[in-house]
Amino acid sequence: MEQIIIQDLTFAYQKGQPILNDVSLELPLHKSILLSGPIGCGKTTLLKLIARLLPKYGGDCSGKVNLPQGQRIGMLFQDPTMQFTMDTPRHELEFTLGNLQVPHKEISNQVTTALNFVNLQEVANQKLTTLSGGQLQRVALAVTIAMKADIILLDEPFSNIDEGNRQFILQKLTKLQKKNGTTIIISDHDLHNYQDFSQLVVQFHNQKAELLSPQDSQQLLKSANRTHANRITTSVPEASAQPIVELKDYSVIRNRNTLIGPTDLDFILNKVTLLTGPSGAGKSTLLKSIAKLTHYSGKITYAGRNIQKTFPGKYYSQVGLVFQETNQQFLNVTVGEELSLSTENGQNPFFKGKTPQAILSMVGLPDISNRVVYSLSGGQRKLIQNLVMLMMGHKLLLMDEPFTGLDHKSLQKLLTVIKQSRQQFPQTLLIVSHQLDYLNGFIDYHLVLNHHQLSYQGGLHDESQH
Amino acid sequence: MNPSIKLLLLLLISLEISFTNRLFVNLILIICLFIVLIFNKLTWHQFCWLMLIPLIPGIAVLITIGGYGAGHDWLTGWSMVSRFYVYVFAGGVMTFTTSPLTLVRSLEQNCHLPSKFAYGTLAALNILPQIKRNVSTIKVAGKMRGLDLHWWSPTLYFKAILSAIRWSDQLAQAMETHGFREERPRTYATLIPLRWVDWAILIISMVVLQILLIALP
Amino acid sequence: MFRQFHLKDIILLAIIGIVFGVIYLATGLLYNGLTIILTPFGYGPMANDITLGIWCMAGPLAAFMLRLPGASFLGEFLSAIVEMLLGDQWGVTTLLSGLVQGIGTELGFTLTLYKMYNWITLLLSATTTTILTFSWDWFRNGYSHFPLSMLIVMLIVRWLSMFFFTGILVKLIINLLNRSHVLTR
Ligand SMILES: Nc1ncnc2c1ncn2[C@@H]1O[C@H](COP(=O)(O)OP(=O)(O)OP(=O)(O)O)[C@@H](O)[C@H]1O
Ligand SMILES: Nc1ncnc2c1ncn2[C@@H]1O[C@H](COP(=O)(O)OP(=O)(O)OP(=O)(O)O)[C@@H](O)[C@H]1O
Ligand SMILES: [Mg+2]
Ligand SMILES: [Mg+2]
Repeated sequence: MEQIIIQDLTFAYQKGQPILNDVSLELPLHKSILLSGPIGCGKTTLLKLIARLLPKYGGDCSGKVNLPQGQRIGMLFQDPTMQFTMDTPRHELEFTLGNLQVPHKEISNQVTTALNFVNLQEVANQKLTTLSGGQLQRVALAVTIAMKADIILLDEPFSNIDEGNRQFILQKLTKLQKKNGTTIIISDHDLHNYQDFSQLVVQFHNQKAELLSPQDSQQLLKSANRTHANRITTSVPEASAQPIVELKDYSVIRNRNTLIGPTDLDFILNKVTLLTGPSGAGKSTLLKSIAKLTHYSGKITYAGRNIQKTFPGKYYSQVGLVFQETNQQFLNVTVGEELSLSTENGQNPFFKGKTPQAILSMVGLPDISNRVVYSLSGGQRKLIQNLVMLMMGHKLLLMDEPFTGLDHKSLQKLLTVIKQSRQQFPQTLLIVSHQLDYLNGFIDYHLVLNHHQLSYQGGLHDESQH
Repeated sequence: MNPSIKLLLLLLISLEISFTNRLFVNLILIICLFIVLIFNKLTWHQFCWLMLIPLIPGIAVLITIGGYGAGHDWLTGWSMVSRFYVYVFAGGVMTFTTSPLTLVRSLEQNCHLPSKFAYGTLAALNILPQIKRNVSTIKVAGKMRGLDLHWWSPTLYFKAILSAIRWSDQLAQAMETHGFREERPRTYATLIPLRWVDWAILIISMVVLQILLIALP
Repeated sequence: MFRQFHLKDIILLAIIGIVFGVIYLATGLLYNGLTIILTPFGYGPMANDITLGIWCMAGPLAAFMLRLPGASFLGEFLSAIVEMLLGDQWGVTTLLSGLVQGIGTELGFTLTLYKMYNWITLLLSATTTTILTFSWDWFRNGYSHFPLSMLIVMLIVRWLSMFFFTGILVKLIINLLNRSHVLTR
């Protein structure tokens, strides 16, 4: 049988720190294969090795990656926005076909066929920067169709898009596989909702990767669906509760679609509010609106004043945002410099007088103050990011996915730090998170953004029911 | 008109009037460029923009040469002002009538510009909105930590370059997965013709310009 | 002896050009504001000399990041193309200025045979850029009609601007980049 053969593969971005160590795998063609493993285990790295982007774009590699003759590879990237050269879907397809030296006369027809396959005819001439994440991934899929790819690699293609688009793409991929025998390899750290699609699973742990048997694969996918359950119980704010931020007739329109419909809503002073909703619903957009980082219609007030009429310097000393994209938060080079900047300018009494080492150990980190922030692992960086923002002591702290990439132990430690800090300095927290482990009891109110509407939810909430 | 020839013509005109200083020639050029723009559906908004841009530096030069220069030469001053307007109108003709994509396609097909330069630049231009957002986010990230980042702060540039490095890596990899190879020839979806009319326009315009420069004061 | 420019380098240079364009446009009031303030004293055109250093930062930065012959020129020229396409004040002549600035910044590195990347190179580059751009402005901005005393002041101001932006500021940025280990080349 034809296979993608990986033999004794060792790969390191930096010398002496292998990401994959002596990995051997035989991946059968014409199947759907799921790469699974925790954040930072090397899924993207393996996909790029198969696509021959690595070691060309960095790193050292020993061992072999052998593809059967004449197999053409297409790929969908983790970040939907950074994978295009041109301005519109049509131009991107034309560019791709031109690269493959398709004769001039045939290009236009093939572009139309590819666009039809993913139902994107209407937006063919629209600027890519105005499309949603889901639409962008569909454009990327269209490119692989136009390329007539035999192997399609998808790197967490669904982490930024909604369920509808996810289903659409999975369905189209299934169709391709049935019709042309396309090999499909998807990476994802979240295994639920794959049991109807994937036939095989490759599991990563400790710099190794192992292909599970079909039975074990199915078992794993089934159990992933079952264990994906985290519940929280909350109440709805009372009418007399004191607000800190008020939305008045607030709405957001993006790309001519309503993201959030006209809403009146209060965020309650000195409470912890959790905001959940499907990806792409507009959670980050809401936080950015409150942080004056994006435009919206209607009015937002902070402590009774329209935020557009408050001076930025003053406003940002009271309102902080933990960015979804970790690197944006940092301003210096080393961990020590980051922490001391927050010590100097910060107001939170809980952290006053504590040494960087003490602060790091509170979240279970060793003394890494001399390390360069950008060389840390995703989880470590996330912890530092949360710390430096907590130390600032903003009255209102908006946190956009502050727990991604954290293992259970660090998550519990971080939550303990937040709780202790809040006893001395009761902040208002507005947290966007899709993972609810350990949050029960910590959260006061639960706000849900669904079908363009924001509403508080009381009682028991079970994430697995979505 | 062929975009590459258009660019060449406008460059030659701009270059030539940088080394000569004739008020009337400049005025005639402005009128010609203006007519070209009108035929290409110049909007009021664009027109005001074009008129406004050179105003401040124009007045500054006028006052410097006329008011403070040796011999208070107001005529030279005015011809400097008119020269600025030629520059800006020539720029307007280029940017309002030709999209970057068409220009790049023409440079690739007609002038044999290596495709890695053509599409590398285009890929960067197409993420302009993200770059803009990123720069303003860096400033806010600073304010939230009690740090004011100005345009002379190294940190602002450092952060922006960090993102640039990451993006260039991502974009290059994406282009490669979409079949792009640096040295491989490509086929074209849209052919940009280079006709003898284009050359004729170029040569006639330049000849007329020379005659005007000799004939007029 | 030297490697070629790859696609990735070209995209990087173009993005850096855009970043500088965006930062400059965001503070674009500066140029016009300075001009208005200086005009009553007859020094209006000096706004150009004061701010010119910002326009020439992309070149030396690119040279330090890529350490290749032509990197400085290309960084400067690509940013000029980008600025033209973004619709900046000077229209197509931006390309010509970009060419001149590119050669100017490149010369500093050529004179040290692309072997030295330190203060001396930056100083040299700032000086060659000052000379070349000033000669270009002699024609383009009509400097030949300006009073001599003013020209001397403007030349000195321009060199100071170059020294500050393409010297000190670029060095500080490069130091940050070096410390963070992102320049793996
Ligand atoms: N360009 C790089 N330079 C240095 N280290 C890198 C680079 N890219 C990734 N890494 C490191 O390599 C490891 C594996 O990264 P990779 O992106 O393959 O993980 P992943 O399994 O795809 O994770 P995720 O689920 O977060 O996407 C991580 O620890 C990461 O920090
Ligand atoms: N500046 C913008 N211009 C155009 N579209 C945008 C802009 N910002 C966000 N969008 C679109 O708005 C939608 C909502 O984005 P947002 O980041 O707020 O979602 P989210 O709920 O935070 O999702 P996730 O859980 O994936 O982070 C997306 O489809 C995105 O493509
Ligand atoms: Mg990944
Ligand atoms: Mg989000």
